[in-house]
Amino acid sequence: MSTDVTSHRDDPAMTITIARSERRQSLWAQTAAMSSRSITAFLRQPALVVPSLVFPLFFAALGTSSFSQAIDLPGFPPVQSFLDFALAGTIIQGVLFGSITGATALATDIDNGFFDRLLTTPTSRSSILIGRLAGAMAFGGVQTIIFIAVLLPFGLRIQSGVLGAAVMVLGGVLTALAVGALLSIMALRTGSPEAVQGSFPLLFVLLFFSSAFFPRQTMTGVYRRLADANPISYLVEAFRDLTIEALSLGAVVRLMVISGLAALVTVTMALRALNRRLVKP
Amino acid sequence: MTTATGPGADDAPIQAEGLVRTFGSGELAVRAVDGVDLRVGAGEVFGFLGPNGAGKSTTVRMLTTLLRPTAGTARVAGYDVVSEADQVRRSIGVALQDAAIDPLMTGIELLRLQAVLYGVERSQQKRRAGELLERVGLSAAGDRRVGTYSGGMRRRLDLALSLIHEPSVLFLDEPTTGLDPMSRMTLWEEIQRLNDDGTTVLLTTQYLEEADQLADRIAIIDGGRIVREGDPAALKAEVGAPTLFIDVDATRTDEARAVLAAFGDPRPTAEGTLGVGLTAGAAEVSAVIRALDEAGIAVERLELSEPSLNDVFAEATGYRLEGAETGGAATDEP
Repeated sequence: MSTDVTSHRDDPAMTITIARSERRQSLWAQTAAMSSRSITAFLRQPALVVPSLVFPLFFAALGTSSFSQAIDLPGFPPVQSFLDFALAGTIIQGVLFGSITGATALATDIDNGFFDRLLTTPTSRSSILIGRLAGAMAFGGVQTIIFIAVLLPFGLRIQSGVLGAAVMVLGGVLTALAVGALLSIMALRTGSPEAVQGSFPLLFVLLFFSSAFFPRQTMTGVYRRLADANPISYLVEAFRDLTIEALSLGAVVRLMVISGLAALVTVTMALRALNRRLVKP
Repeated sequence: MTTATGPGADDAPIQAEGLVRTFGSGELAVRAVDGVDLRVGAGEVFGFLGPNGAGKSTTVRMLTTLLRPTAGTARVAGYDVVSEADQVRRSIGVALQDAAIDPLMTGIELLRLQAVLYGVERSQQKRRAGELLERVGLSAAGDRRVGTYSGGMRRRLDLALSLIHEPSVLFLDEPTTGLDPMSRMTLWEEIQRLNDDGTTVLLTTQYLEEADQLADRIAIIDGGRIVREGDPAALKAEVGAPTLFIDVDATRTDEARAVLAAFGDPRPTAEGTLGVGLTAGAAEVSAVIRALDEAGIAVERLELSEPSLNDVFAEATGYRLEGAETGGAATDEP
């Protein structure tokens, strides 16, 4: 067996050092192999991937053609076109729906037993989970790039420039991780692909009661209070600030902190759900 | 009963003591595994038999670190399944029920993923994957997605996956359930060959025939407890007498039954057939025929059946397994 460290058994100190460095190296290799598997899975299921690219763009087009006058409303953020405003909502929408695909794949693994096979290998539990989420992460980044690239010819202006756009792509990756991990908790708890896919309407409602499609400043009453309480609003606005404002350290940090923190919380929760599953499936 | 020891008992690669697993809590709690002791010696093939829901898979899931025991301890390949789970995982190969494989990937991709997960060196991954594909007869299908494989091909790939790191202990959970006889035979040969190479194998099965073919020792589990354990031949001998099945003219069945009663206890049979456990063994057959002849009863059909694992199982659990080998015309009370 190639990882067998007993071949260095004459020197215990050396054994431990080698074991550690091998462990770290193989941890990377394992996460990478798991990631490449989940990215491959994404590529091999175009029917699942295409809708989460097309629908958000469709919504952006619809919004822009219907609400182009809305940008003159009092309280509307200063933008040149509704498209500038819509981009953030488009990205979040795409990432939410794309993450469903990733989490469904995890639930399918659990459902058909492949997940158990992975758990009987000496792979770290977090590698298995992160690897599974890597497909969704990569897709989140790719989605952000595609949305920006498609909307640019239609008049989209990114005020924070190329650097800001790059930060947004990174934000897309982190958001995909956060949402993917959140949905993974559902996958781990139910082990049912149908249950995960059933979260689609819920996510859609969550998205509607946020500032994804309209600015909070123009909302009133219950709608406003719901949007104020909805974490998605703040995530959307962090993306939006980078689109409609000149590049500032504050905006960059805001997006990174909000999406990073969300990812940290949901990944931690997902790892706990994974552990609980091992003790009490 | 459950503490019978196998060869090399002290360093036995699979040892379990008082293994218990409960699902749910309070009133609804189910003890799926209720105090199982196991000892499988190095190089043994151990058959774990039982009907669905008897606790076979739950036991295997605990031994393969997928499930923490509610009580009791187990050591596999010398490591504790709870506190040294990682070392256990490095030492064992596992093929679980239903050949769980991602249908979107190809055979080679899965083998290479498995190789990375077990830390097989990069330079050796490709060679090892190729060897294993050849070993299970899938070289030609290696580049195809698993979704296109037949049931038998999946099982064989599943077995290959569990061998990537040359494990010393192999767990096979119902490896041939649902397979056609040809595919089953191929897998049996492969398991036999692995065992010849020194691999310790624990296999669960619902097929008594499978256990009879492969296992050096078997345990029968029922209701979460081991109810019989030993080598198949000894267990069969324990059940004792061979069964003689006889068909006679339907109008004289009752007379014939009375004649047969002198030779042993009646055995359950199919409609229209009489069965008797020959207390004095197979040598008694000619005496039975003579006795029937003297009574003027003509024998239309006669079959002698040595005790099978099916009989052992029936005796231990009170019922017979679906798909068990046809021990004469013997069938069951449901």
